[in-house]
Amino acid sequence: MRQPTIAYLIVGSLLVLAAGLVVTVGIPAIHAPEPSENAVRYNDVQQRGRDIYIQEGCWYCHTQQVRSVEADFGMVYNPRDIGPESVPGDYVYQKPVLWGTNRQGPDLSFVSRRPHANATWHLVHLKDPRAVVKGSLMPSYAYLSDEELNALVEYLLTLQ
Amino acid sequence: MTLWNFAWPFSSSTPGGGVAESSAPEVAQRRQDQASRWFLYSAVFWLVIPGLAGLFMAFFLFFPVISDVLPEALRPYLQFGRLRPMHVNLAIFGWLSMVYAGSMLFIVPRLTRTTLFSEKLAWANLALWNATMVGALVTLLMGLNQGREYAEMVWGLDLMMLGCFGMLAVNVWGTVLRRQERRLYVSVWNFMAATVIIMLVYGIGNVVWDTSGALYGMNDAILNYFYVHNLFNVWFTTGFLGMTLYLLPRLSGNPIWSYRLAVWGFLSVWTGQHHLLYGPGPEWLELLSVSFSIIAALPNIAFTYNFYKTMQGAWAKVKEDVPLRFLATGCVFYIFTCFQGVAQSFRNFNAQVHFTNWVIGHSHLAFVAAFSFMTFAAIYHILPRILGRDPFQRRTMEWHYWLVLVGLSVFMVTLWTAGLIQGQNWLSGGIPFIKTVEAMKPYMFLRLAGGLGVAVGVLFFAWAVLKTIRQPESIPSASERSRGQP
Repeated sequence: MRQPTIAYLIVGSLLVLAAGLVVTVGIPAIHAPEPSENAVRYNDVQQRGRDIYIQEGCWYCHTQQVRSVEADFGMVYNPRDIGPESVPGDYVYQKPVLWGTNRQGPDLSFVSRRPHANATWHLVHLKDPRAVVKGSLMPSYAYLSDEELNALVEYLLTLQ
Repeated sequence: MTLWNFAWPFSSSTPGGGVAESSAPEVAQRRQDQASRWFLYSAVFWLVIPGLAGLFMAFFLFFPVISDVLPEALRPYLQFGRLRPMHVNLAIFGWLSMVYAGSMLFIVPRLTRTTLFSEKLAWANLALWNATMVGALVTLLMGLNQGREYAEMVWGLDLMMLGCFGMLAVNVWGTVLRRQERRLYVSVWNFMAATVIIMLVYGIGNVVWDTSGALYGMNDAILNYFYVHNLFNVWFTTGFLGMTLYLLPRLSGNPIWSYRLAVWGFLSVWTGQHHLLYGPGPEWLELLSVSFSIIAALPNIAFTYNFYKTMQGAWAKVKEDVPLRFLATGCVFYIFTCFQGVAQSFRNFNAQVHFTNWVIGHSHLAFVAAFSFMTFAAIYHILPRILGRDPFQRRTMEWHYWLVLVGLSVFMVTLWTAGLIQGQNWLSGGIPFIKTVEAMKPYMFLRLAGGLGVAVGVLFFAWAVLKTIRQPESIPSASERSRGQP
């Protein structure tokens, strides 16, 4: 007529949790990836721009991971311009990473590789998205200061 | 005998008793349930705010020009990228979690035949929880965001949230330790486990030892989705099962068909990598995660069987009894959520629906259609028992039920359809991205229409619940009006 004791419950659950942590977080952490050629060490302005990217929630609608199923194949403006497959080494200097889970807009891992995406285009696009991309869902970020917009553009230019 | 010798502690009465069957100790408890009651009121408040934000975002996605005509001073705060974390965090940590907490404070003393460990602690818990949610509302709209999904709240708020879970755990465990009922019903196990383990999951997942709340590189994403998935498993699912296994016998009048099967709900997935399939993470972890996802179909099958066997003979009641109908609908949607989740973890299917609007349909299936429907039933069941009378009119509950059900169904089916089309368009490799956005226009309209139905239904509910705040409390007596079972 014994019941499981409270100790069983707690110890058992904690063991499951600990095993989960070791396998999913511990083991991958042991093999720290080497920085890839796409990894960027951000300077102060780029880091500031990245903080604004997080602050304004850009990462809710734009991913920064090109999956193996679409790498060198997916289309944003021109065929195959989504970019190469993302690898762990791309992200070594990033905290947090901005992989994202939803694409209301295109993946931005390599946005500044696309020929038109220079500093001027980014600035115009951020202030008035529908002036350069008809049908865009993006909000206007004209409410940001010039300093903030420039930092954001500097960050976007590292995505290539 | 067996390891799971769980007892239903209301052996002297039928499981489905109404308000009037309260014995003397129940009346004494009711005077102590006031913190629980205010948890439920607060939760409803925290449902309305993110709900209206959700409606606005749906409107924005159909008609983005709206953001250009807003008053200039409001534009930063009503921008999609700031509303979205507010919508998600308040809906899960404010609305759902506060109903869970309030219900635990009500249910645990009854299942253990004692009074709550500390009513004062419960009030302090309520104050801290509401303060955390006000903080989340303000900081997230200001753009203070840690950049990790479901873990957006800044460091200070993370610590406050941990405090909320901790105080709730002390109350749940303290009540259990002074119990009069020797055997513990399965719901109590669920609540005991959930309140403790969520602290670990939340603390580790939010990287609380670092004020930035994040790690460097790939491991940040792995830990983030470990957290997201276990937040779902350890807190929302375990709490859902605990509350359902309490409410289902009470509302349906049937005992749970099998307590052995009920225990299977504990089995859960503990990797979150199936949220990042084909991504830059290690492939072996993805495959492991998919395997666990498939194994998670087993407890779903157990729950499905148990649910339908328990409901046998009680289906006729769902026509008259709206709270039971909410609960049964929530359970059916829960089953659907779990199997859809398993399906999504298959890599070839995931390749098509990942990043699309399908995902938003799935998250609302879980958090609104499954968990919220159950919590609607919980509030409709618990509040009358705290107030000592039933303030809810059938007509309001019917409006609430049908508006939310129809609205949400339109919303979800639209987003799933839209997601399949988006995925197909992207994987064709020959369509400019903006064309795939423009193709979404009609779906964004239908989604807005569905969302409008949900919002109006929720307002019916909020109005019905919140107007009971001001009504004077009647003194419970033997002659109090019975809510009864049809």
